[in-house]
Amino acid sequence: MTREHPDAPRPLISFKAIGKTFGTKQVLKDMTLDVYAGEVLFIIGTSGVGKSVTIKHLIGLLGIDHGEIWFDGKRIDPLPERELAPVRKRIGMVFQNSTLFDSMTLAENVALPLRKHKGMRQKQALAEARARLQQVYMADYADRYPAELSDGMRKRAAIARTLTLEPEVVLFDEPTTGLDPVNARRIDRLIRELSGTHGVTSVVVSHDLVSIFTIADRIAFIYQGGVRAVGTRAEIQGSPDPVVQQFIAGKASGPMETPGF
Amino acid sequence: MPPTPTTTPRPGLVARAAAAAADRVEAVGQVAVDAVRAAVELWGVFVSTIAGIYRGGRPRGEIVRQLHAIGNRSLLFITVTLGFIGMVMIYQACMQFMRVTGDLSQIGLQFLPLIVSDFGPTLTAMMLATRVGAGIAAEIGSMKVTEQVDALRMSGVLPVDYLIVPRFVASIVMTVVLSTLGGAVMYLAGGLTAHYQFGVNTELFFDPELLRPAHLILGLTKAVAYGAAIPIVSGFCGLRAQGSSEGVGTATTAAVIGSSFAVLLLDLILSVIAFVLFGEQLR
Repeated sequence: MTREHPDAPRPLISFKAIGKTFGTKQVLKDMTLDVYAGEVLFIIGTSGVGKSVTIKHLIGLLGIDHGEIWFDGKRIDPLPERELAPVRKRIGMVFQNSTLFDSMTLAENVALPLRKHKGMRQKQALAEARARLQQVYMADYADRYPAELSDGMRKRAAIARTLTLEPEVVLFDEPTTGLDPVNARRIDRLIRELSGTHGVTSVVVSHDLVSIFTIADRIAFIYQGGVRAVGTRAEIQGSPDPVVQQFIAGKASGPMETPGF
Repeated sequence: MPPTPTTTPRPGLVARAAAAAADRVEAVGQVAVDAVRAAVELWGVFVSTIAGIYRGGRPRGEIVRQLHAIGNRSLLFITVTLGFIGMVMIYQACMQFMRVTGDLSQIGLQFLPLIVSDFGPTLTAMMLATRVGAGIAAEIGSMKVTEQVDALRMSGVLPVDYLIVPRFVASIVMTVVLSTLGGAVMYLAGGLTAHYQFGVNTELFFDPELLRPAHLILGLTKAVAYGAAIPIVSGFCGLRAQGSSEGVGTATTAAVIGSSFAVLLLDLILSVIAFVLFGEQLR
């Protein structure tokens, strides 16, 4: 079911037969996946299957055991921490729990990457941060601390922080988990706008079937450490694979092997 | 005709014992490998922390905040615990002297060099290892399991620079200050106990005649070493936290045990070195 994107024959990101083991548990086994420029790719699968692990490898937050990871024609998996900084300027990540720094205001949170990656002074970075927060309708809360805000507000501020460096690729780790349906759809719209308006490539890890079948250009289904199926929404929905069908139908029983059940 | 059932012969006692022994050796070997790996990583954190002092990049005002968190908030705790320890030690020492010689004139003279060269910094650091070590590990561990440490790395920040360096600097300063204060309280509490409970003359007790510069140098060196070790060990434990709240709990426990052990180990090493260097001056 794999296919090449018609507009971008060379993938922007390539995972080539990567493997990762935690202790005795092998999470990824020779996983291969390509991501094309400008697309919204959803990585789906059951909990603990290695979706978040996959995207964390891309920015060096985890190291692979074997295989290769390529970004824009350059192999990045062997790079040391310091040499990953340019990659992390081009690839942003919105973490699952927002991960705003508790001891900083929203403006300070958003200003931090501007100071560190772009070398801005604090005053200039804070002014820029307020402008970024305005884009996600959070400017009124710039001087508040994360603990004072709702999950949806924190998520929006975290997205503002990620977008502040104007990355070419944004990795979203379960962006709609824990949000009410209205906020969840707003996040979906934002992801879609980033791709449509700014040409940002989005890789989204999600269980949210509404999001998946509303905004995804392509979907990669991860199962037993590898990519079981990858294709457009229609291709995944029409997949003859009973494991894929069980997942997208959300059925409790079926051929899918789920550890712990 | 039904097939003849086949059975796998059970290994003999010797074979099973050998297999069990091999498993045990493998497990011990794995523990040793993990310990060596952890020691190398711990050393890496220490070296990176020293380099981080010169790299800069820590949050503005963070060292002052940590001086307050580590120092001011430990003030009452250190004062009370070391005061009580001073009272108990002198009470017990006087009781023993009364039984054996009945001469209490040497109590204060001997007590001061002991406090300055060992009890003051070591007991203060043991107390700080529990309070400060647990706090550092819990704070950094929570940030690790909630991916805040990953978010720092994504923001172009080295977690060691941001999280450990300010605590390292503040801990060294405050361990020296609190050791001095704790030692003074211990000495005073011991002196008052000796005076009011056993009638020891205060001028005799508080006579600093036996105190030598070597005692001061050793005490100061120990305080600096302990102050450096506690945030390094605790921060390292916090950065290794995995999972969720259980992982933070494990990291916190490991930090308290590791910091306390580091204090005792440094006490032994520095005492031996000082004995070699200063010899008679410390007697």
